[in-house]
Amino acid sequence: MKKLYFTPVITGEKEAALRAEVRSFLDHYGAFNVSNIIDSWSICDPELSRALAEKGWLGMTWPTEYGGGGRSYLERYVVIEELLAAGAPVGAHWVADRQSGPLLLRFGSEEQRQYFLPKIVRGECFFAIGMSEPNSGSDLASIKTRAEKVDGGWLINGSKIWTSWAHVCHQMITLCRTAPPSDNRHAGMSQLIVDLSEKGITVRPIITLAGEAHFNEIFFDDVFVPDNRVVGQVNEGWSQVVAELAFERSGPERFLSSYQLLEAAIKELRETNLMQQAEPIIGKFVARLMVLRQMSLSVANQLQEGKLPINEASVVKDLGTSFEQELPEAMRLILATEPRSSANGGVARLLSDSILKAPSFSLRGGTREILRGIIARGLGLR
Amino acid sequence: MSELAQLIEQSATRLFEDFSDSNAHELMEAGQFPETLWSDFLADGWLTTLLSESDGGSGLGLAGGCVLMRLAGYYSVPLPVVESLMAVYLAAESGFTVNDELLVPAIISEPLKADSEYTIRGVPWARHASSLLVILSSNNETRVSMLSCQSVTIVEGQNMAGEARDDVTINTTQLNDSQSLSGIDIEQVKSWLALGRAAQMAGSLQRVLEMTVEYANDRSQFGRAIGKFQAVQQQMAVLAEMTSASICAVDAAIDHLASEQEWELIACAKITTGESAGYAAKTAHAVHAAIGFTQEYPLQLNTRRLWSWRDEYGNEAQWSAKLGKHCFQLETDNLWSWLTTQTS
Repeated sequence: MKKLYFTPVITGEKEAALRAEVRSFLDHYGAFNVSNIIDSWSICDPELSRALAEKGWLGMTWPTEYGGGGRSYLERYVVIEELLAAGAPVGAHWVADRQSGPLLLRFGSEEQRQYFLPKIVRGECFFAIGMSEPNSGSDLASIKTRAEKVDGGWLINGSKIWTSWAHVCHQMITLCRTAPPSDNRHAGMSQLIVDLSEKGITVRPIITLAGEAHFNEIFFDDVFVPDNRVVGQVNEGWSQVVAELAFERSGPERFLSSYQLLEAAIKELRETNLMQQAEPIIGKFVARLMVLRQMSLSVANQLQEGKLPINEASVVKDLGTSFEQELPEAMRLILATEPRSSANGGVARLLSDSILKAPSFSLRGGTREILRGIIARGLGLR
Repeated sequence: MSELAQLIEQSATRLFEDFSDSNAHELMEAGQFPETLWSDFLADGWLTTLLSESDGGSGLGLAGGCVLMRLAGYYSVPLPVVESLMAVYLAAESGFTVNDELLVPAIISEPLKADSEYTIRGVPWARHASSLLVILSSNNETRVSMLSCQSVTIVEGQNMAGEARDDVTINTTQLNDSQSLSGIDIEQVKSWLALGRAAQMAGSLQRVLEMTVEYANDRSQFGRAIGKFQAVQQQMAVLAEMTSASICAVDAAIDHLASEQEWELIACAKITTGESAGYAAKTAHAVHAAIGFTQEYPLQLNTRRLWSWRDEYGNEAQWSAKLGKHCFQLETDNLWSWLTTQTS
């Protein structure tokens, strides 16, 4: 049984100063270009991403030699949680900053780092995640998209699905089968960086039940990828994907997706004088949020120490997405407001948006069942 | 873990792992005090360990004390660890001289009438104590009186774990002789006791998790260990999540003792451990099935304590209401800024 470590972190003056700087930036930035602020990290605003890049808030933890900020994971944590709490539409650069860049730093070639990282830092290069396929969701190792070796590179055929912002992103790290399936089903896969403007790529939008068009299905028809765009070792893609998960699953986006509703509910309850009966419910959710922040900060600190706390990250994501899904369920029972999709903002709209978006919270980035399976393995049950 | 915490853990584990009274639990449940275990506890110097060295302690303070309390929870130690350490600490802070006799805190939250009888409900371990440290608030000042248990009427009661929770009737004139607990608010005293209980609960949750994992790996049905079934694994994963959240919340509250965020983080710790306790007990018993429902099997030592402790020193609804009220009192739109000060 592996122990789960969540040593609490106390942030200091450096983080406090940075927090104040982010708040001041947001105060001066003005209204965001979107009407829906629930789950703001799934909403894309390249203009905001470039403004953040100018502040040095993309690639914050990366070495300065690649244009990165050379700052700590705690500092990055402060910046991203401030942006999320403010409902900032940070979706454009989110994947590149959170996991593609760190993946290249860990497994990429020197040429890849020098080519991509400065562009990401400048807000000029957005990445998509190319993992799921129509017949491979939780069972990712069953992917069929294949890359065949040809002279000077690889030819990709197949399709990927649920790819957020593929129509806006420039590159996609695409998990492909590069060797036929064998007894070791995790062997024979590779990660290839695909330029999404390349010939042979078709992007088809998929509209969510909430009416949004960030998802896509992508088709590859003999798409050529040069040899120098393979990340890490050929056929070792699986272990690289697993390493990505500690970055992907532990951040504050895993519990702040519906945070805007909590703030608005408190305001509404105060204005409608429904405070007293709401106190225990508000307190309960605030306490959960406080603990989630402590746990997520602790994981950020472990990343800073060079660890890969994959089990801890799964814990944060499972508890966090349960929190952000249960929040609208609890708020609707204490508010005297019905959800309204037609409302132009306000608590009625936030309720509607968070209820409609909530199902995806525990699907993306590893389902609840998959996460619990990982945790069970850490306990020594599998 | 800090070096100090490690030292406390090593040395207390020796005492708690293998009680000198093998029948300590039976004694306690029969309403008696496990005297041998208690004398070993005293002999190791734990009673005064929170006090500064000049007061005859080892300077662990509340934070170090919580490490010991968590361990006492892990091992279901049938002694008033939280109460005795806290009472000695508060007595010393109030200027009383402390000795090796059992002293327990008794809190009065209501205003009192002069020269009348008053019953303090559910005072932990009162029947075994030589004195009570009665703490109340009077004219915005925290006052502390030391009452001999010979001078009060005790009606015995027990919580679900068989721990003494006695009703103590005093005459309010007995409180005329009191000391000021200067600089410490009664609400703060209550929150420290809640933290002590939360620390015990965090330890107990860890033990329940470990016992349940071990059992799920050992017990075989349908030809394989029951822990191999996904239905079991999914519940166990949540048990591990809630346990680690509880430990983290308690650790964060310990780290923030004596800071401006002290009570909020303690509230958070008591809420988290309280919510986890019910789930942990339910899941552990589901996995252990009938054997875990017996008195003979030791799981009940932890689960009966968890069921009892979640309601003591404020349950999760009470602490949530207090925290929620505080959120409503913040200036408009200030929730986020308040939240972020909780980790600084």
